[in-house]
Amino acid sequence: MDRKTALIEFIKNEVMRNKNAKLDENEDLLSAGVLDSLAILQLVAFIEDRFGIKIPDEEVVFENFQSVNALTSYLENSH
Amino acid sequence: MARFLLTHAVTAGAERSPDKEAVRYSGNSLSYAELESRTNSLARTLIENGVSRGDRVGIFMNKGLESAVAIYGIMKAGAAYVPLDPFAPVARVAYVIQDCGIRHLLTKEAKADQVGEILGLQSSLECLIGLPCTDQPAMRCLSWDDACAAPGQPLANNLTEQDLAYILYTSGSTGTPKGIMHTHRSGLSFAEWAAEEYGLLPTDRLSNHAPLHFDLSTFDFFAGAIAGATTIVIPEALTKFPVNLSKLIQDEKISVWYSVPFALMQLMERGVLDSRDLSALRWILFAGEVFPTKHLRELMNLLPHIRFSNLFGPTETNVCTYYHLAEPPESDDPIPIGKACANIEDLVVDVDGNPVPAGEVGELLIRGGVVMKGFWGQPEKTANGFFKRRMFNDFDDIFYRTGDLVHLDEHGYYRYLGRKDRQIKTRGYRVELDEIEVALLAYDDVEEAAVYPIPDGQGSNLIAASVIPAQGVALSEGELVEHLGKRLPPYAIPVEIEFASDFPRTSTGKINRRELQAAATQRRQSAALSE
Repeated sequence: MDRKTALIEFIKNEVMRNKNAKLDENEDLLSAGVLDSLAILQLVAFIEDRFGIKIPDEEVVFENFQSVNALTSYLENSH
Repeated sequence: MARFLLTHAVTAGAERSPDKEAVRYSGNSLSYAELESRTNSLARTLIENGVSRGDRVGIFMNKGLESAVAIYGIMKAGAAYVPLDPFAPVARVAYVIQDCGIRHLLTKEAKADQVGEILGLQSSLECLIGLPCTDQPAMRCLSWDDACAAPGQPLANNLTEQDLAYILYTSGSTGTPKGIMHTHRSGLSFAEWAAEEYGLLPTDRLSNHAPLHFDLSTFDFFAGAIAGATTIVIPEALTKFPVNLSKLIQDEKISVWYSVPFALMQLMERGVLDSRDLSALRWILFAGEVFPTKHLRELMNLLPHIRFSNLFGPTETNVCTYYHLAEPPESDDPIPIGKACANIEDLVVDVDGNPVPAGEVGELLIRGGVVMKGFWGQPEKTANGFFKRRMFNDFDDIFYRTGDLVHLDEHGYYRYLGRKDRQIKTRGYRVELDEIEVALLAYDDVEEAAVYPIPDGQGSNLIAASVIPAQGVALSEGELVEHLGKRLPPYAIPVEIEFASDFPRTSTGKINRRELQAAATQRRQSAALSE
């Protein structure tokens, strides 16, 4: 499973708790209220665990987590 | 000019310093003159579309410059604004709209999907502003541009300080939202006190971190406008990222910060504060929850040039007590909630309603301009919320019953002991759940703690706890039980302590104990079934 699919599955199953939720890869996860503080920490832990990528605190920023696409391109460019 | 309505602060600002920035959002701003004229236009449009004095007008949108336009525009139309949590489940939003009889809703196109769902779940709405069209022919729809195109001259009306200004819905202890009604007078009583006590100046730049449906936002908008200061509305998205947030505090040169303690703890832990220039910041105010003392001390040591103040009060009284911290606290004991605001009378009574001797525990009662008018549509609940003190044969002083247990310490400051309704019975013993949280927090490796009752299946309660360990520490249930055993009677020790990396939070940033409680109850029930 590629990273993008894995992230979408994780957000649907663990964050939105709804396998059938609609989640567009460009959707603004923050303005739509999908991600809250707790979910962001869960997502960071998931990425570190699943992809073996350590995300420093300074890089946990809005610009990198705004959408699934923003997150995957951040992960590709920096790791 | 006279000031007896919340909106007068904006009008006065526009006369005094028309070009001064009143509100900023994401680099855009409205001057006091622009805010004055735009809110007059919106008020005119609302009235033309059927809003009359005493109506309730909903606000359902993410934050922006329009937040300020909406709250003042609605009040200028003679109505009360009702902020709806933009991230709440649609069923809850629809419930509030129906309960409060909201006919007009201010929203944005980004909320079109949710508004569409809401329309099917209630029968109160007649007019939408900010959504130019829907497929519902009966619904009157206008864009924001149209709504702000009406003439911007002041409106003539006969409003008084007793008119309703805003209604804030909070989840009651039963989980059904209740609407807390505030008047222009109750809002002003708080905002005028706050502007004075914190010495707010036109040069100040106030954060607006809290959502509109949380009463902290009334300080940001109302006290800010009274001072002629600038309010910086923080996008919801940035409140979730401490690194972005600390940069915003630096770049916007915020001078007065107000939020729940959790936001400050996040900033301290992950907000790279040591690499930011926070020299403009002079006050940090916090409210809404207890600030764990060890974290507060750490933050105060990190930012020695900033003054800190703890504000306290249920939404029903805006704020009723406050405590300025001169020095970082020495011990880990909870800090005081302080003394009553200058324009408030405080009284502590026992269960029979008799005043307690100084220093004894009792329920805090509050009298003064800050107190709400009542709960929307719930006369019985409103009556139960007030306490009457007989003064003369046919005259009573009326106090609001906060439901908070306090006692006065030797320095004349109130100490908060917990909610009356957080006092539970377990196996016949009376227990303060908040006291157990304090005991857990006193353990070095405990970052945060939440304690809540779970039904024991036999009509009584068991106590359960959730704990966030300090970063990188492995805690065991055994060591915590041992620690609690030294501080609490055996019956007050939780039967289960669950460890978590973070807690669910409410939309206002408080620990969501109800959700933790529901999950623990469910775990226990399914465990019982599988036995």
